[in-house]
Amino acid sequence: MGESSAGASAASAGRALGNFLARFGLVIALIAMEIGFAIVEPLVLSPGNLLNVLQQTSYIAVFATAQMVVILTRGFDLSLGTCVSTVSVASALVMTGMVGDGLHGMPFIILTGMLTALGIGVAVGLFNGICISVLRVNAFVTTLGSLNICFGIATTISDGRPVFDVPKPFSHLLYSGKILGVPAPVIIAILVLLAVHLMLTWTVFGRSLYLIGGNPRAAALAGLPSKRYLTSAYVVCSVIAAIGALMLTARTGSGEPNLGGNVTLQSIAAAVIGGVSLRGGVGGTYAALLGAVFVTALSNCMGLARIDGYIQQIILGCVIIAAIFVDRLRTGVR
Amino acid sequence: MTTAGVEAIPDSKRGSGAFGRALRRIGFLPALLIVLITLLVLFEPRFMGVFNLFNVVRNSSALMIVASGQMLVLVVGGFDLSVGAVIALTSVVTAKVMAGALEASPDDVPMAIAAGVVAGMACGFVTGLVNGACVAFLRISPFMVTLGTSSIATGVALLLTNGIPVYGMPDAFVKDFGRAVWLGLPMPVYVSLTILALVWIMQRQTTVGRYIHAIGGNVQAAMVSGVNTRFYLILAYTLCGMLASLTSLLLTARLGSGQATMSGNLMLESIAAGVIAGVSLRGGVGRVEMVALSALFLSILTNAMNLLRVNSKIQTIFMGIIVVAAVALDEFTKRRTRHARDN
Amino acid sequence: MRHRMSEPTGNLLELSRISKRFPGVLALDEVDFDLRRGEVHVLFGENGAGKSTLINIIAGTFSPDSGRFLYQGREIRRLTPHQARVMGISPVFQEFSLVPEMTVAENLFLGRERSRFLFLNKRAMRAKAREVIGELGFNLDPRRKVASLSRAHQQMVEIAKALLTDVRLLIFDEPTASLTEAETIKLFALIDRLRAQGVGIIYVSHRMGEIKQVADRISVLRDGRKIATVRSDSISETELVELMAGRKIDVLFPHVDHRPGETLLEVNNLTLASDIVKGVNFHARAGEITGIAGLVGCGKSELIRAVFGLEPIASGSVQLFGKPTTAFRPTSMLRAGVCYFPSDRVAEGLALARPIRENASMAALDLPGFARGQVLRRSEEKKTIQDIVDRLKLRPAQIEPAVGRLSGGNRQKVVLGRGLARDIRIFLFDEPTVGIDVGAKLEVYELMKVLLEAGAAIVLVSSELPEVLHLSNRLYVMHQAQMVAELTGADINEQAVLACFFREESAALPLPLATATPVVAPVA
Repeated sequence: MGESSAGASAASAGRALGNFLARFGLVIALIAMEIGFAIVEPLVLSPGNLLNVLQQTSYIAVFATAQMVVILTRGFDLSLGTCVSTVSVASALVMTGMVGDGLHGMPFIILTGMLTALGIGVAVGLFNGICISVLRVNAFVTTLGSLNICFGIATTISDGRPVFDVPKPFSHLLYSGKILGVPAPVIIAILVLLAVHLMLTWTVFGRSLYLIGGNPRAAALAGLPSKRYLTSAYVVCSVIAAIGALMLTARTGSGEPNLGGNVTLQSIAAAVIGGVSLRGGVGGTYAALLGAVFVTALSNCMGLARIDGYIQQIILGCVIIAAIFVDRLRTGVR
Repeated sequence: MTTAGVEAIPDSKRGSGAFGRALRRIGFLPALLIVLITLLVLFEPRFMGVFNLFNVVRNSSALMIVASGQMLVLVVGGFDLSVGAVIALTSVVTAKVMAGALEASPDDVPMAIAAGVVAGMACGFVTGLVNGACVAFLRISPFMVTLGTSSIATGVALLLTNGIPVYGMPDAFVKDFGRAVWLGLPMPVYVSLTILALVWIMQRQTTVGRYIHAIGGNVQAAMVSGVNTRFYLILAYTLCGMLASLTSLLLTARLGSGQATMSGNLMLESIAAGVIAGVSLRGGVGRVEMVALSALFLSILTNAMNLLRVNSKIQTIFMGIIVVAAVALDEFTKRRTRHARDN
Repeated sequence: MRHRMSEPTGNLLELSRISKRFPGVLALDEVDFDLRRGEVHVLFGENGAGKSTLINIIAGTFSPDSGRFLYQGREIRRLTPHQARVMGISPVFQEFSLVPEMTVAENLFLGRERSRFLFLNKRAMRAKAREVIGELGFNLDPRRKVASLSRAHQQMVEIAKALLTDVRLLIFDEPTASLTEAETIKLFALIDRLRAQGVGIIYVSHRMGEIKQVADRISVLRDGRKIATVRSDSISETELVELMAGRKIDVLFPHVDHRPGETLLEVNNLTLASDIVKGVNFHARAGEITGIAGLVGCGKSELIRAVFGLEPIASGSVQLFGKPTTAFRPTSMLRAGVCYFPSDRVAEGLALARPIRENASMAALDLPGFARGQVLRRSEEKKTIQDIVDRLKLRPAQIEPAVGRLSGGNRQKVVLGRGLARDIRIFLFDEPTVGIDVGAKLEVYELMKVLLEAGAAIVLVSSELPEVLHLSNRLYVMHQAQMVAELTGADINEQAVLACFFREESAALPLPLATATPVVAPVA
C-alpha cells in the first residue's frame, strides 16, 4: 500500500521528464547559464576566467566527493565545514609552532602539518561513524553535534583569530605550485577523485557502500559488515575533507577558524545537484564533479556579474531545493 | 491468546510497565534538574542571586518558545533547521519596519509597533509555509528543505542589514515591552507560559494535536482515516516558524536592535531540548511540558557554565556532546524496552 | 448500521474495466466487479493476484488508471480514503491503519473526533468506544495504547474502527488471519448480522473453509485479471483452487524425489529472547524438503531467522553439519553454507536502485571468485552472475538493469541467485512464493528440486498450506511459539495440520475452518 492517489500517467510523465533532466538537465543548465551571463558580462567565457573556474572547482569537487561518500550510505555530514576549520587551524598552529621552534627542517614540518590534518580527519570521522553505526544515533543529530564540537575546538585553539605565517613552501606545494603547467590544486583534486572513483568501482568496500545505502537491511542479511563499512565511510569523508582543508589553508596562507563556513552547504548542494540521491545507493564521482562544476560556475558567474554575496547565498539555497525536487522527479513520485 | 486472560494479564503488566515508563519518562529529567539545582545552590552562591535567577528565567523562556515549535515539527516526523535563520530574519525585518514606520510618522508609535510585529511574524509564517509545503507536496526531505530555506533567510537578513545592527525602534517596544518587568518577573516569562499553555491545550485537547501526533506515528493510518495530512504537516511547520518569530520579537525587544546574527545557538538548543525531553526523532511522540522542563534544564546548565567561567566556545562543544548523548541514550533505552515489551 | 429498506435494491458497487499499473507490474487488468446490498462477496486468489490492489481502489487509497467506478448508482472519480468513509465504505485492512503510540479510543475516532468547538470531547469518545467494543463482544480496554496490544487485538480495534460509523460497504482483508477460533465465530456472527441489515461486504481470504461458510458469491482473481465470478453454492473447492492457480493441482506442484541423507541442521530446545519461539526442536536432512507450517505470528519465520542470526536467541543449541555452532551472524552462516531467503524482498532482500549483478553477488563478495581481498574481479563477477541468471531463467536475461524494474517473480530469482553464487548447502526459505505469479512459482519449485538433487537441505516455511503439504517430505507444524507436530508420509494432510492449529480451543466448538481440501492460510 502506498501513496496518495497521483495518476499513473502523471507519474510516468514525471518520470520521463525526470529521466531527461537527470541525464542532460544539468549540462544544459550549465551551458545556458554560461551563455546567459556571458551576454551580460563577456569576461565569463574568457580563457582566463575558465581556467579560474577550473581551479576553483577543484576545491568544491574535493568536498563534494567527501560528502558523496556518506550520502551514498543514506547519511550526510553536516560537520564537514567545521571539520575543515578545525583542520585548518590545527595544522597551521602545528606548522607555525614548529617553524618558531626552529628545530626541524621544512619538509618535516610540512609533513607533520599534513599528518595532523589527516589525524583530525580520522578522529572526526571515527566519532561520526561510531555514533551513527554503533550507537545508532541518526546521522543528522550526530553530525550536528560534531559540527558544534569542531566549531568549539577550532575557535578555542585559535582563540577565534586566524593563524598567520603558514610556511611559504607549504602554500607553494599545495596552491601555487605547478606540474607541467597544471596548478597543484587541480592535480590534487584529480588524484582524490580518481582514488575515490577506483575505491567505489573496484573495491568490496566501495560496492558495499552502494548496497548499504540502497538497502541497509538487505546488506546486513547478505553478511556485509555494515557497521565497519559505515564507520569507514565517515572516516573517508572526513579525511578527504581534511585534504581539502589543507588545500584551502595553503591558498589563504593562514589557518582560519571560519574557513569552512559555506563548505557544508556547498558540498551537499554540489553532490545533490550532480545527482547523488539522498535516499542512498545512487551516485558517483562523476556526479560530484559535475555538481561541483555547476556550483562553482554559478558563483563565478554571479561574482563577475557583481551580484551581492548575500544574494548568492539566497540563490544557492534556492538551487539546493530545486535540485532535490529534480531528484524526487528522477526517482519517480514513489 | 485465549480471550479469558486478555483483561487480567496485560492489566497487571501495565501496572509495572507504566511505573517503569513513568520513571523513565517523567522521572529522569526532573531528577537531573533537581540534582543540578541542588549542586548549584550548595556550591555556587552566585546562582541564587536575584539578578542571576532573573536572567536564567528570561533566557529559558526564549528557548521554551522555540523548542515547543521545534517539538511540533519533530512530532510530525520532521526537523526544522531554519529556526535560527528565521529568528535572525525576523529581528532584522521587525527593526527595519518599526524604524521605517517611526521615521515616516513619528507620532504614531502603536502603528509602527504593530507594523513591525506583523512584518516580523510574517517572516516566520512564510518560511514555515514554504518548509511545510515543500515537505508536504514535493515530499522533499525536511532536512534539505530547511537547510535551503535557512540559507535563503540568512542571506536575506544579511542583505537587508549588511551585517550591521538596526537601531531606531520605539522606546515603547524596547523599554515597555522587551525589558518590562511585571510582578517581579521579566515579561518574556509570561509570554512563554501563555504559549506553553496554548501548545499544551492544542496538543492534548484539540483535534489538531491529535492529527499531528497521528501523522508522526503512522502517516499511512492518518491518511486512510481521512486526516488531511498535508494540511497538518504545513500547519506544524508554519507554527514552528511563527513561534521562532515570536521568540525573535522578544529577543529583539530586549536588545533594542535588530541583528542578523542574533540566533546564536538557538537552533541547536531547540533540537537538544526536544531530544532531551524524549521527543522521538521518528515522530509521533513528544510532550510540550517535558520540552519546557528540558529547556529550563539547558538554560540552567548554560548559566552554570557561565558562572564557572567556562569559555563560550567550549560550551558549544558541550552542547554538541549533550545532543548526541541524549539521542544515543534514547536509542539505547528504546532497544531495551523493545526487548522487554516482546517478553 | 441501520437497515435501509427505502433505497433501491440494485448493485451497491459496480466496477467496470478497472486497470491499475505500478512500476514494473500491471496489478489490475480491466477487472469487472460488483457488490449487492446484503451480500458477502469473496475475493479469492493467490498473493499478488490483485486482491489488495482492488480493495485499495474501492477504499480510495489508490485511484485506478482507467475504468468506471459506480457506487450507489453514482459515478465516483478521484475518491479519497476520507470521502470513501464519509460515503459509508469502511475498510478493515490487514496492514493495520492504526497509530501505535495512540490509545484504542483515540485510534477508533481518528479522523472523526467528537468535539465541542475546537476541544475534544474525550469522555464521550471513550464511552462510545466502550459501547461499540461491547456490542462486538471484544475484550478491549479503550485506554490501552495500541502498541501494547497483541496482533489479534489490533485486528479487533481495526474492525471496531470500521464499524464505528454508518457502514454500507465493509471490506475485510483476511480478518481471521490473527484471530482465535472463538473470536472468529464472533466475527462470523457479526457478518451475518450486518448482511441482514443490508450491508454489502467484500471479504478477502484464501482459507477455503471460511470462504464456503460466509460467501454468497466468489470472484477469482489471477495475475491481475478476473477469472470468474461464481455463486458459492455452485462450485466445489477443488474447482475453485484450480481456477485460482490456472491449472490442475498436480501440475502446480512438481513431484519431488526426496532422498533423505545425513542431518545437516539440528535445532534443540531453541527459545528466542522475544519468546516468540519457545523450546523448539527440529532438524533438516540433506536431500529432502522440511516444511514448517503455522498461522501468522506463530513464530515459524522467526525460528529460521534466528538460525541465520537475525533474531536474538535466549537459550537452546543449533548444530550445523553435526557440529554445534554459536556464531549466529549472517556472515558466519553464509560462510558455513547456510542461506536465508527473506519473505519481504523489498524490505530485506534487495537494493532496488542497484543492478541485478550487484544484488546477486551481494552475499558472495568475500569469495575469491568475486574479489581478491578488497579488489573486485568485475569480469569474473559478470560471467558468474550471467551464468546464474541464465540458469534461473530470468527474463530478460540481463544483469545490468536496476532490480527495481523487475517483476515480483524476477526479483525473487535475483534473491535466489545469491544461494547459487556461493556454496550453500542449507537453504532456509521464508515464504518463497509470496507475491510472484504462477509461472515463477513453478520455476522456484523446480529450482528446489535441482538443489535437492545436488544434496542440499531445504527448510520451507510457508503460510500457503498446499505448498508445504505438497512439497514437504516431513512437515512440522508450529502453533503459538511451539512445535506441536511432526508429520510424515500419509500424515501430511490438511486435517492433521488444522487439528494442530486449533488443538486447545477446538474441543467444545464447531470447526468452521476445518473442512476438506486446500485451505490456504494467509500471509501477512
